[in-house]
Amino acid sequence: MIGNAFEDREEPPGASRSASSNVFPTGGRQAAAPEIDAALRTAFEGEWARVVATLIRVTGDWDVAEEAAAGAFERAAVTWPRDGVPRTPGAWLTTTARNLALDRLRRRGVEAEKVKEWIVEREFEGGTGGPPDPADVIADRDGPGWDDRLRLVFTCAHPALPMEARVALTLRTVGGLETGEIARAFLVPEATMAQRLVRAKRKIRNAGIPYRVPPPDALPERLGGVLAVLYLIANEGYLASSGDRLQRLDLAAEAIRLTRLVTQLVPDDPEARALLALLLLQHARRDARAGADGELVPLDAQDRSRWDAAEIAEGLRLLETSARVAHRTPDRGPYRLQAEIQAVHARAATSAATDWAQIAARYDELAGFGHSPIVELNRAIAHGFAEGPQAALTALAALEASGSLDGYHLLPAAQADFLRRAGEADAAAARYREAIALARTAPERRYLERRLAELA
Amino acid sequence: MEYALFYAAGTDPQPYDPAEDDIADWVADLEARGVIEYGVRLRPEQDATTVRVRRGELLVTDGPFTESKESVGGFDIIDVADLDEAIEIASRHPAARLGQVEVRPFMQWPDAVPGQRVVPAGLEERPVRGQRYFLAVVSDPAAREEATDVAGDAGDDDYPEAWVQEMRTRGARLFGEVLRPPADTTGVRRRDGRVIVTDGPFSEAKEWIAGFDLLEARDLADAVEIAAKHPMARGGTLELRPLWEFDPSTDHVARTAAEAADRDRRLEPSADEVLATLAGATR
Repeated sequence: MIGNAFEDREEPPGASRSASSNVFPTGGRQAAAPEIDAALRTAFEGEWARVVATLIRVTGDWDVAEEAAAGAFERAAVTWPRDGVPRTPGAWLTTTARNLALDRLRRRGVEAEKVKEWIVEREFEGGTGGPPDPADVIADRDGPGWDDRLRLVFTCAHPALPMEARVALTLRTVGGLETGEIARAFLVPEATMAQRLVRAKRKIRNAGIPYRVPPPDALPERLGGVLAVLYLIANEGYLASSGDRLQRLDLAAEAIRLTRLVTQLVPDDPEARALLALLLLQHARRDARAGADGELVPLDAQDRSRWDAAEIAEGLRLLETSARVAHRTPDRGPYRLQAEIQAVHARAATSAATDWAQIAARYDELAGFGHSPIVELNRAIAHGFAEGPQAALTALAALEASGSLDGYHLLPAAQADFLRRAGEADAAAARYREAIALARTAPERRYLERRLAELA
Repeated sequence: MEYALFYAAGTDPQPYDPAEDDIADWVADLEARGVIEYGVRLRPEQDATTVRVRRGELLVTDGPFTESKESVGGFDIIDVADLDEAIEIASRHPAARLGQVEVRPFMQWPDAVPGQRVVPAGLEERPVRGQRYFLAVVSDPAAREEATDVAGDAGDDDYPEAWVQEMRTRGARLFGEVLRPPADTTGVRRRDGRVIVTDGPFSEAKEWIAGFDLLEARDLADAVEIAAKHPMARGGTLELRPLWEFDPSTDHVARTAAEAADRDRRLEPSADEVLATLAGATR
């Protein structure tokens, strides 16, 4: 073993903070060698959702499943540094979690024999004798592990749950995020988020929400809700709504992983494919979006050589096939339009070469899907770049008058930027000050302060 | 799992279509699947009577408990595998197009006998001896607390064991159950062929149906007397609605026309008449 385990308290680079925080006991644990730490983190990121998902299927109880999974990871943190990492960490974790769940159910007074029967029955017979769960079909095609996680995604995103609970529950159960982290991401007190999660799990039990991927005839109706949840998770990752960090790459990566799973379930759905393309094209810019101090680097100032070429290529390829799949339904869906906008940016060799007219046209089409003030804001900005600052300022003034973006820092920030381009420095400065007062994350605030300073 | 499906008018109904909104196929399908346990349709709101007991005083008023436009027009009890099957069934009921359906699970008691049905077997075959009423037990926790504070008129939260026993002996109560709260409710609508599933009930009212009983009474005065004895009459509100004779095999279009005409005809005596009858009976 290389290196002094007891001195090494640094987190390995690239390790997800959130992944580690709710599993590893913080106080008094025996510090592990970096390889063990890395193995634990890899196991957490790769196996958390799978272990929870399997335990939910086996026990039918969400709380028991989560506690048992957390217990198994805690036990791993203690025994792996001592005994070494098991050959198949996933199987080790699942077995340990299942034993913990069994203990827990027995302590609750469920008769031991009944528990055993129940678990064996559920695990080996599977299902209720109805038509096969689409998740099982996927499992047969792509090997073990897919089925339970996919079930979990669809259960957490069930339309009988309120939207905010769907996103939170998916992040907690599928993504393994801590309640406190989710609460901070959505700007609510931790107690409120804990209540929300408890209520969602209670409703799943009390209302009888099934733990499965809906049958093919119900799938089209359910898919929209699932994609919306994944989109919201990615959005939170792309631009964190609070805190010191600009991006939550763990959330963005999780959303991509889950969307990939969904596209395997519905390979012919153009919108699912387009969403994956959109998320990849956005994620590809992660390294260029933040400067050395973690400050925000706007699109026109990003070093395009730092964009992830492989992800961009995959995103563009997906978009092409999405367009081909969508040929039968020629209407562009909202995810495809957004992905196409990102694709225009991705294809431009330089910021100046961006085809803003095409982007503005896509935003016009996107605005037809509903009244999203954020879409209107981006639409105004696109027209500003395509036609000149005055076009943007007129549209932004109308948006401001509507009051739909009151308190949102990016509206005065956009106004400031176009005023600056129009040569109205004083008016621009006033808008920058407004935006700074409203900014939600420290990096965004620093970026706006720098722009303000540059005006003087 | 057993669910109650409550039907209500909607704020954005689809136009009536005799072909799509015929209920006969729906009923036939559910009967063939053995999923449906019991279903009734309720007489219109003007035949509703609300019963409360405050400070020992019996208050009988005309009309439903809520001023909302979305009051319940009928319900079915179904026994299905899970919520998704309940949603599938609810979405095909004409009310999902013309209004909305609320899917409510029943309260599971810790001492419940597994497999026991909400609706007693053989109820359908039993001859109707009097007038059947849907007795909605309406809960408003805020009002209940207030009633307790002001009048010492404690709202009894417990399952009304004594009342159930007495009414069963009298043959007045056919069955009844407590429903899970609004948080566990799912709304189902169908608009332009798409099924819309939402969290929560259709009504934002702070009062909601917490449970119900099916009564068989001589007349409304008898039913009011039965309702007044229910413990929840003191803390909550009880609503009595006569059932609407319903035969799914009759000509659908003719039935709809007849019901539309019937809507304006009052079947029940007014609240004042009931109170007068009750006063006469006790004198």
